[in-house]
Amino acid sequence: MNSLELLSEFETFLQKKKDTGKKIIAFLGHDNIPIELLEAADFFPLRMIFAGDDQLMNSSNTYLPPSTCSFAQSCIGYFTLTPRTHKFLEYVDYFLLSNHCVSDICVSEIISDVADLKRLDFYVPYYRNENASKYYKIELTNLKNEIEKLTRERIPDYKIRDSIIKQNDFKKVVKDISNLKIKGYEKLKLYQKAMLFGPNVQPELERIVEKHRDHNEINLKEYKNLLLTGCSIFIDDFLIDLIDESGGNIVHFDTWIGHQYYSQIFSQETLEKIQDPYKLLIKRFETNVYGDHCISHSLENQINSIINYINQFKKENPNMEDVAVLNHIIKFCDHFSLFQSTFKQKLQEKGVKVLNLERDYSRAMRGQLRTRIEAFMEMI
Amino acid sequence: MSVFTDDIIGFKSVLRLAYNFLNGNSYLKRQKFKERKKLISVALPFSDLIFASDAVPVFPIRMEKFNIHPYLTALDTAKNLLGWNWTTKLLTIARKFDFLEILDNVLDDVIYTINDKYNELYDLAIDNGIPSDFCYGITGLTGMFISKAKNLDANINFTIRCSAWNKYSETLQDYVPRQIWVDIPPRNLDNSVELLADNVSKAISDLEDVTGNFVTDNSLKKQFRIGNQIKRFYKTILFELSNSDFYPCNPATFAEILALLGISFQDYNSNAQRYLENFSDLVKESRERIDKERGMDVSDMPRILVTPVFGGWEPQVHEILYDLGARTIYADWEILNLLEEIDVSKNSDPIRSYAEFLFKPTTYGIGYNQEALTDSYIETAKELQVDGIVFNQVFGCHSISNCYSRLRKKIRRKLEIPTTVINFNKIGENVEQVKTRLGAFMEMFHL
Ligand code: SF4
Ligand code: SF4
Repeated sequence: MNSLELLSEFETFLQKKKDTGKKIIAFLGHDNIPIELLEAADFFPLRMIFAGDDQLMNSSNTYLPPSTCSFAQSCIGYFTLTPRTHKFLEYVDYFLLSNHCVSDICVSEIISDVADLKRLDFYVPYYRNENASKYYKIELTNLKNEIEKLTRERIPDYKIRDSIIKQNDFKKVVKDISNLKIKGYEKLKLYQKAMLFGPNVQPELERIVEKHRDHNEINLKEYKNLLLTGCSIFIDDFLIDLIDESGGNIVHFDTWIGHQYYSQIFSQETLEKIQDPYKLLIKRFETNVYGDHCISHSLENQINSIINYINQFKKENPNMEDVAVLNHIIKFCDHFSLFQSTFKQKLQEKGVKVLNLERDYSRAMRGQLRTRIEAFMEMI
Repeated sequence: MSVFTDDIIGFKSVLRLAYNFLNGNSYLKRQKFKERKKLISVALPFSDLIFASDAVPVFPIRMEKFNIHPYLTALDTAKNLLGWNWTTKLLTIARKFDFLEILDNVLDDVIYTINDKYNELYDLAIDNGIPSDFCYGITGLTGMFISKAKNLDANINFTIRCSAWNKYSETLQDYVPRQIWVDIPPRNLDNSVELLADNVSKAISDLEDVTGNFVTDNSLKKQFRIGNQIKRFYKTILFELSNSDFYPCNPATFAEILALLGISFQDYNSNAQRYLENFSDLVKESRERIDKERGMDVSDMPRILVTPVFGGWEPQVHEILYDLGARTIYADWEILNLLEEIDVSKNSDPIRSYAEFLFKPTTYGIGYNQEALTDSYIETAKELQVDGIVFNQVFGCHSISNCYSRLRKKIRRKLEIPTTVINFNKIGENVEQVKTRLGAFMEMFHL
């Protein structure tokens, strides 16, 4: 399924949701958002995980300087450009502001203003420790109260818990996808679909997992195997095509769309032990060590996770070339740009080949990106 | 350009501030090796806890060796021989003997010396792989750590909503292994102030661990008192002196003083008591000069707030504005709510008071969103009664610099004063464009 089909399918899907009276709440696609709380309030959580282009980026220039990451710029474009690139965004009722990075805050403020959407705020602590967890709880309660004020309906705890279990089961299916022996290109499409539709596509994804489970559909030896880290690859981004066309195959998506999402699965034991849904959500925040929002060990955790994967891959595929790392940096990204040279240096010291691929969403960059990817492929 | 000569004489407080800033390297060496004090780096004006633990806060550029104007060195020698009061007399005598050529451009030179160093450290960071996409401030600070971090015993970080800042803070452990964190929750909701107070307590324990000193309620309150007095004087300069029709010096010099205060306020030149005395003298001297009508009548010069500058700005701005007939006000710390006092009343708990103080900048100053930040701009502009605002859009700043379009709308609605935006990437890089922009901007005052 290509992106166009995916988006058109989503359009129909969202229209149906809307017809049943669901309220749609959109937010910038990053982690730490308690979507289960939103679902329990009968909202449909819509992650903005759409890549951009020149037009979308340019249309943000009235609001933000061009030295803003092109994903954030494009998100503004999705709501300001007419006719809307994605018609389904007209169905959005609310916008959730969060502080994954400061651009998330600014963009959410701008979108809710220009699109005249009621805004809800949810801030995530910058640090991860006991007090940060207590603060996360305060934000959860605040969000719950704000939503209840808005909908004039109480959000029962059991509904949040049900949603947590539902999302948790879904994440397990997404994790199963990660284990399939299919091309990275295909995996990404499935991850993107999963993030967009949520558990609504669980049966479909289960069927796919079933179909491919015992089949090895890719001969890894034919490809240059890569681990993708840094910024996620969003829907309709040509980057994945460039990697594919250059003979590359992503064996592991160490990004939010990918590993960081399905690494947050609760064990059955935890689910049984912790009945309070808020405690579960807090626990998830505490264990989200691979996320890039919280400091002060994000780089260290990222590097450890990458090394672990590479070692595991080596063990499972002893006769193959090592996995190389493609660090995808959307230009001006506060989270990944600053670290890039240290990141590369630290991994190179451990013998890992790294390409820091910095880019924006402009078409003009395509040629340059292709050349850099191809050169890297030759090098590995 | 020599517009400052006459103003320098008599401003011993400013000279002292400048000298103490530039002479950081040898002062800090003395503190570290002779006095056996711990040096702890800090950026943004959050030095109080360090002082309270009897360590020495350092805004890291001050570890650098500066080319100190020979005049300032001469002054220091004179001070050592005669004391600062005598120095003024000495200067007055010197003036009679036509020492003016030596006096030329001292403060101007100070600002340029600091900024040259900033540029040098910025380049050092770029050479060491920091992408040029980050704001000048963060890049320059990284250069400072690359250059001199080995002298530091620890570094203290405060989280704010600027994600580049938080990530930059994380990178510092590569330069200074001992990191102390004060995590400020994003918003002041519910009992967050208690959580923050607990985080402050933990940071204090870390400071005690580094310094081997006990931090008591008394030592905290004593430091907060000093800080409060400094802030009061700072406000006097911003609200009273900068708003008067007669300036104790020409407006370009006044802007340079404000610039110097802005930079040095971050670590109080590593000596809070001395800094307070300088501030107090500065206010006293300025008032005296105004009373004696020594200075300049500025009643017909519009007052222009130039902001934000703490992340880097083109220092020629105030000279350009002066040439265009305006006076420049730099007031970042006021806008960001960092000049708020800390409660030191008898029964107050200093840790909680400090937590409450920390929430002010993060709630109303830099704010938790652009709405709060722009409100703070409007409030401060109103209180300062400025006639126009020049917004300094720092390349790569995603927190403050990108609120301009929102701010412009608000200014139109709520203040109705002229505003313009200038772009800044690196000192000296964009001067012609800035001149053109400011020229067009000042036209609005002559219509
Ligand atoms: S700056 Fe980075 S983290 Fe923030 S919105 Fe852009 S890509 Fe995401
Ligand atoms: S707020 Fe802007 S100027 Fe300040 S550190 Fe962050 S990016 Fe730099």
